[in-house]
Amino acid sequence: MSEVKTKFINDPEQITAELLEGYVLAYPDQVKLAAENIVVRATPKSEDKVAIVTLGGSGHEPALSGFVGDGMLDCSVVGDVFAAPGAQRLFQALQLMKREAGILLVVLNHSGDVMSANMACQLAERVGIKVKQVLTHDDISAGIGADDTDRRGLAGCVPLYKILGAAADEGKSLDELVEIAERYNQKVATLAVAMRSCSHPQNGATIADLPLGMMEIGMGQHGEGGSGGQKPLVSADETAVEMVDLLCQQLQPKAGDKMLLIINGVGATTHMELNIIYRKAHLELQARGMEVVFGRIQEILTVQEQAGFQMIAAILDEDHIDYLKNKASNAPYWTTIGK
Amino acid sequence: MLLIGQLSVNNKAVYMEQLTIDNFKAMLNNALKNIKEREDEFSKLDAVIGDGDHGQAIVTAMSAIVATAQKGTEFKSMLNDMGFDVMLQVSGSTSTLLGAFFLGMSDHAAGTELDAAAVKAMFAGGLANVQKQTKAQRGDKTMMDALIPAVEAIQACPSGDIKEILEAGAKAALEGAASTVNLKANFGRARNYGERSIGFADSGATSWSCMFESFAQAL
Repeated sequence: MSEVKTKFINDPEQITAELLEGYVLAYPDQVKLAAENIVVRATPKSEDKVAIVTLGGSGHEPALSGFVGDGMLDCSVVGDVFAAPGAQRLFQALQLMKREAGILLVVLNHSGDVMSANMACQLAERVGIKVKQVLTHDDISAGIGADDTDRRGLAGCVPLYKILGAAADEGKSLDELVEIAERYNQKVATLAVAMRSCSHPQNGATIADLPLGMMEIGMGQHGEGGSGGQKPLVSADETAVEMVDLLCQQLQPKAGDKMLLIINGVGATTHMELNIIYRKAHLELQARGMEVVFGRIQEILTVQEQAGFQMIAAILDEDHIDYLKNKASNAPYWTTIGK
Repeated sequence: MLLIGQLSVNNKAVYMEQLTIDNFKAMLNNALKNIKEREDEFSKLDAVIGDGDHGQAIVTAMSAIVATAQKGTEFKSMLNDMGFDVMLQVSGSTSTLLGAFFLGMSDHAAGTELDAAAVKAMFAGGLANVQKQTKAQRGDKTMMDALIPAVEAIQACPSGDIKEILEAGAKAALEGAASTVNLKANFGRARNYGERSIGFADSGATSWSCMFESFAQAL
């Protein structure tokens, strides 16, 4: 284990505990820790409404706990750095969130997360907890039209948290929420591009080796390689157009479709660059006849100090647009006053 | 004469109409003992197309299962606790599948003694619950290549002797595991290794067949 010399940390083993403690100290009106590694709203919503819960490793801040708050997630269950939380922790969270209306668990398609979710849900059902899962698989780097099971869950889950949080507030049933989520899942696509590698905060190991001046389209959020291969860096506009084209090959949007477009910075790429990328991606979608009705430029899911970004595009239905744009949320990293 | 007499007494003693809690604990203890002895072999098989940690994974999972089983006094609650504890204490797919197997058995077993029909129902319940957790089919080169034929053979065995029933299961599991040598991995991450997996038995099918073999051997 090499020493980490590029980050402001203390004991590497305490990273997750300390970052969560800092987070809830900063935003006490919105979030609190219900137990170790379980982040919940400061004020729980009424129990006649479905709870929206998610899980994932730390090291991707503000994801995923940054989206806990009124109008968005009820609970986020956090694992260690880049590692899924165990079934035990998740089962504990499901017991805390237990209610007649049920729990919807949003799972990003990564084997560790899926495994923990399956185990915890199986046990939860046996003790009378009503819970359903939706699996997000927005990554398209496995190839256009690849099987859902081969597609990873990237940052496309974050707008889904907002949609589901607003819909649950409105009183939608567990089955209705599953339908809303699956409809979104079928029409969202994300593609990542990386330019400089990052290091694992606990052992200092370099994650993904990208030489200076090279980029790789399709890299995952733990630095695992995509299918696009490495190639010399091109301009922001060329990068944006290539990525929009790939996303459109997957989504097959028609002229007039209403779309979501988010540029998610993964850590070391400046907002200056993200804005420049967003500009061309938005214009390119417009040029193809689509209407971007929801745009955002933000770091929502990061990969340490990796340079690069994820481009998220989705074809939205009217209800999705309403939940995204017109409903309020006080989640620390997705605060909106709504309409 | 004396020898023959003893043999006939022994033969009578092994015709097993009822499976007790203690019999079942002996089956589990024997499975853990044999799995521990073959830990390295399972890991080496796994290293061909996976992480190379299956030996450690199944020893850890079986250890948790056996530890909980020691406290059991009744089939339903004992099997349920075994399933809960392995899933809550051990992460990974081996734990998920073993936990699902014992939880499914719990759904179809009760009391302190099981007759042949109850034993068959218990194993059928175990398989049914595993099938809810994985889409892997026979021929995909997974543990299902041992589990499915084992449970089918247990169901098909016409005997009322529980040892004979479990021997049928063990034989089918071992044959199923052996059949994976010529199969190409067709499930999960291992699928990416395709051709490279041919010529080696699947680690999970091998360890599960070891479990069924140990069950029969212990009675």
